[in-house]
Amino acid sequence: MQEGLYLEELGEIPFDEKEILRYAMLPSFAPKPEDLPLQECLKAAKGAAQCRAVWRHYPLVRDGDMLDLGFAKTDSRDLKQHLEGCGEILLFACTAGAETDRRIARAKLLSPAKGLLMHAIGAQQVEGGCDRLCERLARQFPDRQLTDRFSPGYGDLTLEMQRDVMAALDCGRTVGITLTDSLLMTPSKSVTAIIGMKAREKA
Amino acid sequence: MSFRELLNKGPFFLDGGMGTLLQAEGLKPGEAPETWNLTHPDKITAIHRAYYEAGTNMVATNTFGVHPQRYDLDTCEQMIRAAVACAEQARKEAADCGQELFIGMDIGPCGKLLKPLGPLEFEEAVSGFAEVIRIGASCGVDCIFLETMNDGAETRAALLAAKESCDLPVLVSNAYGADGKLMTGGSPESVVAMLEGLGADAVGVNCSLGPDALAPIVERYLAAASVPVLMKPNAGLPQEKDGKTFYNVLPDAFSAQIAALVPKGLRIMGGCCGTTPAYIAALKEAAGNLVPPPVEKKNHTVIASRGTVIELGKNPVIIGERINPTGKKRLRKALEDGDMAYVLNEAITQEERGAEVLDVNVGTPGVDEPAVLTQAVQELQAVTDLPLQLDTADAAAMERALRAYNGKAMINSVNGKREVMDAVFPLVQKYGGVLVALTLDEDGIPATAEGRLKIAEHILAEAAKYGIESKDILFDTLTMTVSADGAAAQITLDALKLIREKTGCGTVLGVSNVSFGLPEREVLGSAFLTMALERGLSAAIMNPLSDRMMGAMISFRTLTGRDENCGAYIRFAGELPAMQAVAPAAKAAACAKETGAQGLRRAVVKGLCREAGSLAREALESGQDGLELVKNEIIPALDEVGQGFEAKRLFLPQLMMSAEAAEAAFREIKAKTAGQAEGQASKGKVVIATVKGDIHDIGKNIVRLLLENYGFDVTDLGKDVAPETVLEAVERLHAPVCGLSALMTTTVPAMAETVALLHERAPWCRVMVGGAVLTEEYAKEIHADGYGRDAMAAVRLAEKFMEGEACGD
Repeated sequence: MQEGLYLEELGEIPFDEKEILRYAMLPSFAPKPEDLPLQECLKAAKGAAQCRAVWRHYPLVRDGDMLDLGFAKTDSRDLKQHLEGCGEILLFACTAGAETDRRIARAKLLSPAKGLLMHAIGAQQVEGGCDRLCERLARQFPDRQLTDRFSPGYGDLTLEMQRDVMAALDCGRTVGITLTDSLLMTPSKSVTAIIGMKAREKA
Repeated sequence: MSFRELLNKGPFFLDGGMGTLLQAEGLKPGEAPETWNLTHPDKITAIHRAYYEAGTNMVATNTFGVHPQRYDLDTCEQMIRAAVACAEQARKEAADCGQELFIGMDIGPCGKLLKPLGPLEFEEAVSGFAEVIRIGASCGVDCIFLETMNDGAETRAALLAAKESCDLPVLVSNAYGADGKLMTGGSPESVVAMLEGLGADAVGVNCSLGPDALAPIVERYLAAASVPVLMKPNAGLPQEKDGKTFYNVLPDAFSAQIAALVPKGLRIMGGCCGTTPAYIAALKEAAGNLVPPPVEKKNHTVIASRGTVIELGKNPVIIGERINPTGKKRLRKALEDGDMAYVLNEAITQEERGAEVLDVNVGTPGVDEPAVLTQAVQELQAVTDLPLQLDTADAAAMERALRAYNGKAMINSVNGKREVMDAVFPLVQKYGGVLVALTLDEDGIPATAEGRLKIAEHILAEAAKYGIESKDILFDTLTMTVSADGAAAQITLDALKLIREKTGCGTVLGVSNVSFGLPEREVLGSAFLTMALERGLSAAIMNPLSDRMMGAMISFRTLTGRDENCGAYIRFAGELPAMQAVAPAAKAAACAKETGAQGLRRAVVKGLCREAGSLAREALESGQDGLELVKNEIIPALDEVGQGFEAKRLFLPQLMMSAEAAEAAFREIKAKTAGQAEGQASKGKVVIATVKGDIHDIGKNIVRLLLENYGFDVTDLGKDVAPETVLEAVERLHAPVCGLSALMTTTVPAMAETVALLHERAPWCRVMVGGAVLTEEYAKEIHADGYGRDAMAAVRLAEKFMEGEACGD
């Protein structure tokens, strides 16, 4: 493995039914459909997600109009704004793993509603994995203040950056994420993101 | 001693980390190590030499990342030639080391995931690996070293490529997670079964973990493998201290932990990330004088899928028979129509009912068997991890399916006919597998048990010429119908017992055939199954949906002490219909109280699938007209839900549940009216697809479901569909409407291309588009005829287009 890469096994992420329904496009104020096979899907999804992540720490350099992220350069205005005041970044990739995709494929065959729910469960699992990773990172850097996650494809930050992210984190080898020609990640329930860091302001 | 002999003798020492040392020499993070073969050959040579001098027998060339997925072929060739030259130079310089020195061509993963999880076609992966392996072999390396593979399918592709493009020994090393699995789910046992079937010369593990964490995985390899086992762990885990990375296992501990495995059979060893020549020197010091016990041939009859292994001969195995079109009209039609979803559903249903292996037979007139069997195998393996039994008499179909199958398959079948043996044995020799052998030959099926034994012995002798071991053959002594010949069943059973005793081989029977032509077939079939099991049947090809057949199998296991605390029997009994009859009926009755038809309307609005189905059935049975039910109950219910959705009172899951409830009711109506309704109900043909490069299909599936609900005849081409494929379907069906979905900014160009192609070549067709990144404006920009912001909007658009069609607009 390349120097400077750190692996995190994130363990089992608890199901969060409220979040799952939100990912399934059911707003919190709407009543839950009587026959919605959520429990059945949760049972089918149990044990599928193996959230793991890899991350790396870079200095952030401003070079005229460009941001030098250490693994790529960009002139994204949205990212510049997001990283305002930050002198370092953390880059990470997190995935719920291949088995999650398989269970989604299987559920889709049985019924579109189950497919939708399994998608939502997968999304909640990988997002839960990211949350857990971010908690660990916050503990790892107690004297820094961490921004929210910002992913390639957000705002004006181009999705093309995914290629640089994959190379920088050696994603195929470290966490098993690869890119398709159209820049989709496989496994599909995967997240890559940049987190800005600045010195914690004294209260 | 030859390279293979040295591997078998052991201990045999590999090298350690390359990347770690190159970084120390100035390789930048993210910079590809293989480029240094051309820019810094002296540094590469020096590292190889240091490893040889530390005691390494075989260094691996610096070609881990060289693959046509990353570089053009000329660049690949330059890098490989330079890499081998570096290793050869090092070998010359280190000639006086004392041990024999070899060069292995290093091959890592290609960087793309194979189908079905990823985009890469299996055969494309094979040919990519074959290109680089041919170059390496022509440079004179001593072996091919496949390493750090974390996907079983890709490992298969690389191994097959190596076997097809050179005669060199192939060492295969996989990277496991802390959970003891490959990233895509393979287990040590399933991987070993698959790799041995394909003829790997040594198997093992490297990278990802330190020696102590990898030890249990290596022990599982040693228990399963009949070839030498290798291990190349990391120097523990990387940790950060003062901004520097270091690995937490030092050479002494590293070498001691590996050496401890040598008395258990480990014989090939080295290091991976974080290890240096110092680690290899320590390893040689610790293990160099140990003698591993000889490589032991394992006498297990094992089949495997991606991650599941089944050993035949222990518990009798249930092979689900239902994916076989013989005598099944609905399946035959599905195969003719290319409706793979039906096949996959059959698979899942059988799995849920207790099948442990699935027989896959798609042979029916009008079906391109090699193509369809291969497609079925690939799609089945995307949704189930049950091992498959490939069932075809077409050798070309068998070969293609065996190539595609991820694991070690059951191969159904060979028999004593010369011609068949000549066609099938080479396939088993090349791809591995457990072969089902039928005891018949040119003279037909012998009328005696002894006659069938004779054929079995002949088959074993012929198979041995191809190196196929008897443990990989199961005999099928052929179930004949007892109604045609009263002695038939007895002869089959006698032959089963005789062959088992005389050859030691396992047995398999398709049990259903015994009762052909008789009433209440399962009564007879289940008794026959019990009798066969009592005579030592290893596997039964049977219908797992039959409670009686499953009852016989599970009872046998329970009665022969194979079912701890009768747990399986109790679970099975609890699911029998007699035990379950009460619950759903009560709920349906509650709806029915509002009088049959009205209840149906409410059930669809509420999204109650089972109730909608049973209420529709009741209404039909009480004499109501199916089409009237559709017009007066189901469509108004769908409209009510659709309007609720459009007004944002109802949301996607509710819309979908209602659509599924409506579908359940439609199914009942269609079954009752036996197709008579279909012609009348169709509002017209719609072709839908997710565009090329995009694999999101949830949205498209919802659109399909709703369009079907509203009476459209939908042809769903699936996801990642090329523009030409969409055009072909639209032309073939002369479809007036086509729906395209794209979810990524990167796949919208493919959508634009598809729209343009349709407008040019199928000008009658109106194209509607949708998907997360699309907007009304964007849809206009790519010249789509309509934009659907959600599934209901797509239905409205299709209705509008069809009306236009009807008015001649």
